[in-house]
Order: sequence, then C-alpha cells, then structure tokens
Amino acid sequence: MLRVSIRKQIGTSRKQLGAERQTRSGNNERESRQAFRLDVEFMAASGVTILFGHSGSGKTTCLRAVAGIVTPDEGRISLDERLYFDSASGVNLPIQQRRVGFVFQDYVLFPHLTAEQNVAYGIRASENSGGLSKAAKRERARELLALLGIEYAARQYPRELSGGESQRVALARALASDPAIVLLDEPLSAVDAKTRARLLAEIRATQQRTDIPFLYVTHNVAEVVEIGDHVIVLDEGRVIRQGSPREVTLVQSE
Amino acid sequence: MGGAPWKSMVLRAFGAYMIWPAFKLSLFVTFVATCVVVLLGTAFAFVLAKRKFRGRELLDAVVTLPLVLPPTVTGYYLIVLLGRRGVIGSYVYERTGWSVTFTWWAAVIAAAVMALPLMVKSARAAIESVNPQYEIASYTLGKSELETFFRITLPLASRGIFAGVVLSFARALGEFGATLMLAGNIPGKTQTMPLAIYEAVVAGADRQAQILALVLTAVSVTAIYLTNKLTGGRTQGM
Repeated sequence: MLRVSIRKQIGTSRKQLGAERQTRSGNNERESRQAFRLDVEFMAASGVTILFGHSGSGKTTCLRAVAGIVTPDEGRISLDERLYFDSASGVNLPIQQRRVGFVFQDYVLFPHLTAEQNVAYGIRASENSGGLSKAAKRERARELLALLGIEYAARQYPRELSGGESQRVALARALASDPAIVLLDEPLSAVDAKTRARLLAEIRATQQRTDIPFLYVTHNVAEVVEIGDHVIVLDEGRVIRQGSPREVTLVQSE
Repeated sequence: MGGAPWKSMVLRAFGAYMIWPAFKLSLFVTFVATCVVVLLGTAFAFVLAKRKFRGRELLDAVVTLPLVLPPTVTGYYLIVLLGRRGVIGSYVYERTGWSVTFTWWAAVIAAAVMALPLMVKSARAAIESVNPQYEIASYTLGKSELETFFRITLPLASRGIFAGVVLSFARALGEFGATLMLAGNIPGKTQTMPLAIYEAVVAGADRQAQILALVLTAVSVTAIYLTNKLTGGRTQGM
C-alpha cells in the first residue's frame, strides 16, 4: 500500500515572477499558469491506480515525488512498511533506495545501449551474491523482453525502435530493477493511436502477471476506463474525486 | 640513437639543432601531460558540473586561470609553488634533496597546467549537455551517482570529451612560456619543440626553425580538424 500525503509549491509565485518578467519574457506565461500549490493525500493498493487530471494538475509532480525525483515541501510518503519521505522526521530516501520502476513519457532509453543492454542495465545486483554474471543478466533481460513480446528487438538500438517498441523496452527495463511499485508517466502519449490500444492491453497484462502495483498518470479518459482499478482525479493540485473508473467517469460526464 | 640508417639521414637533414631530441621529448612530455589532464580534467569537470558546493565558481576560476594569464605568469606561480624555495618545492627538497625544476617532470607539469582549462571546459560542457533524464532514469534503476556517471553520462558525452583531449594535446604540444620558466631550456632534457624553434631562430638557423614550425603547424591543423569533426556532427544524448 502506497500512502502519499504531500504539499509542495509548484512553479514560481507571482511575486517572484514580477521581478523576472522584465528579464525573461518567453517562459513566464507558462510559469504563471503553472504556479500553484500541490496539496494531496491518496493511497494506492494493488492493481493499477490512475492519477488522472489535466496538464498542470500536479499528477506528474506526485509521481516524481513518489520516485524521489522531486522533494515535497512537507508531508509523508510510504510504501508498505518503508518510509520514503517524512518532513517531520527528516527522512528523504534517495531515488536509488526506493525500488521504484519509472516509465517515462518519452521512454528515456539509453541511446548508446541496445534494447537488451538497456534492460540488463536495470537488473539489480542482489545483496548476497554480489551481482549476477553477465550471462545470467542477459538471460533475465531476454525473459523480460519476451514478457513484453519484443525479444526480436534485443540487439537494436533505441533509435531503430518505434515508439511502441521503445515503451515496451522501457517497461521491461523498469521491471528489471525488481521494483516494489511501477510508476508510469503518461506512457502512451508519445505513441501513435494504433499502437496505443495494444500497448495498453499489454501494460494491463504485465501488471497482472507481475502483480506489482502500478501507479499510472494520464489525462486520457479512455485509458482510465481501460486500465484503471482505482482512479484519483486531481485538479489544480488537489484530489477532487476518487473511486472506480465507472464512478469517476460518471461524475465526469455529468 | 644512431643505428638505423634512416635515422642518421633524418638527423643530417635536420642539422645540429637538436630537432630529433626535441621532437621525441615533445611527444613524450605531451603524451604524459595529456594523460594527466584527461584524468584530472574529467574529474574536475564532473565535480563542477554535478556538485553544488560553496566555492564551486572559485574552483572553476582557478582551474581556468592559465587560459587567460600570460604563460610566463603561470610559470612564475609554478616556480613559487614548486621551485626549490617554493611553498611545496622547499618541503620536497628538504626531505629528498630533489627538485622538480629543470627536469622533464617540470615540462610535463607546465604543459598539463596550461592544457587543463581546455579539457575542463570541453568536458564540463559535454557533461552538462547530456539530458539529465538519462541520469534520473539510471538512479531509478538503483545505480549510484558514480556508476551512472561512468556508464551513462560519460559515454553520452564522449564526443565532447574527446574533443577536449585533442585540444589539450595540441595545447600541451605548443606550450612555451610556462615550460621555459619551470623547466628551462636544456637541449635533450627539457628543450621541447617550441623551445627549440625559439633557440633556432635566435641562432639564425632558419631551416631548422622552418621544419619545426611546419611540424607543429601540421599537428595543430590536424587537431582543429579532428575537433571540428567530433563536435560538429550530431551529438548523442541531447
């Protein structure tokens, strides 16, 4: 069970912006729109939990806070018995120790490594054996690529892969690190529509086979209905609704 | 020396002005200095690019200083530091009776100090141009900052780093002022090619100066060509 209760000021406050406006005019329009206060509290159990909201609602920031990429101003994040972050006691576990698999919007596969090497890179050395042998890592990487149905691309470099293939490799790599939870940040937004449906089904199937909880960020209602077990709706940094996909989308359409 | 007939031919053609020893010494000094610069420069670049600490810009300034200071001034500071009566040099001399000045070590140190800024600048820019998302992805896979640097950042920055290596090599090869200050101009011992050119010109040995100048020019042109080729192409990891 993932428990998140965090607060964070996002973007620049209006006061600071006033001074900056004269020097840098380009980005400020966006910044001023994005400046808001994130104040959320939610839980995610097994299955696929969706963080749903429009861009700028704070859902990606939540995901990044769970991973340890961004630090909340205050609050508490824990997964099962492990405390990730607690401003009260000063705990802030580094990214490396959180055991989260992160699937990025734009894949972020290492361009100088093949698909197989990307996945093998993610394989965590177990504490007692002092690391797997190269052959064992390769075999494990192949298994994971096979799980996602892309072992045929093992020797290809990221630039040779399609968007759908890249995202499968990215998911395989995230699973390779033996994560306690998988965090997916709009994993389908860079993929074409045709691939989207298939990939969505595969992500769903992968979750069920591995039985690792998935926390899935999206702004697409179709994805919510298709893949979600539990949905948390965010708006302007606050949780405005939660429930099953049906409950949430019914309210949404009213 | 001697032995191979081609060598004596070359020697005769080049004349008496120590071209061959200067050439050999220059290559040796430059090679050693470049190795030192690559290791130190990459380490400095990593620290400057990735660590936020007080005095970071001061460190950057100190490392970069030889780029803007007159080389003789840099050489002067090196004497103040490493000379027989220098801050560090006196300590070494008291303990061992040895001083680095007027040895080939001094030529290496002078060349390395003068080339270091170019390496640090190139490597830092290359490291900073790598999309930090790759590093974050590596962290989420449980990899430490150091392992991430060596397995992800460095390979993705390799073009810019190699460009730095080429520039440093060229700079070290051409080092004159600081070398003259710290290592002197001892033929066969500390007289590198740039120093040999100077001596040839002063002595009116125009032909020797010409040959040495052409060799150095060829190396420099090659270095610029290589650097442009390496940095001009599409960079990975942007």
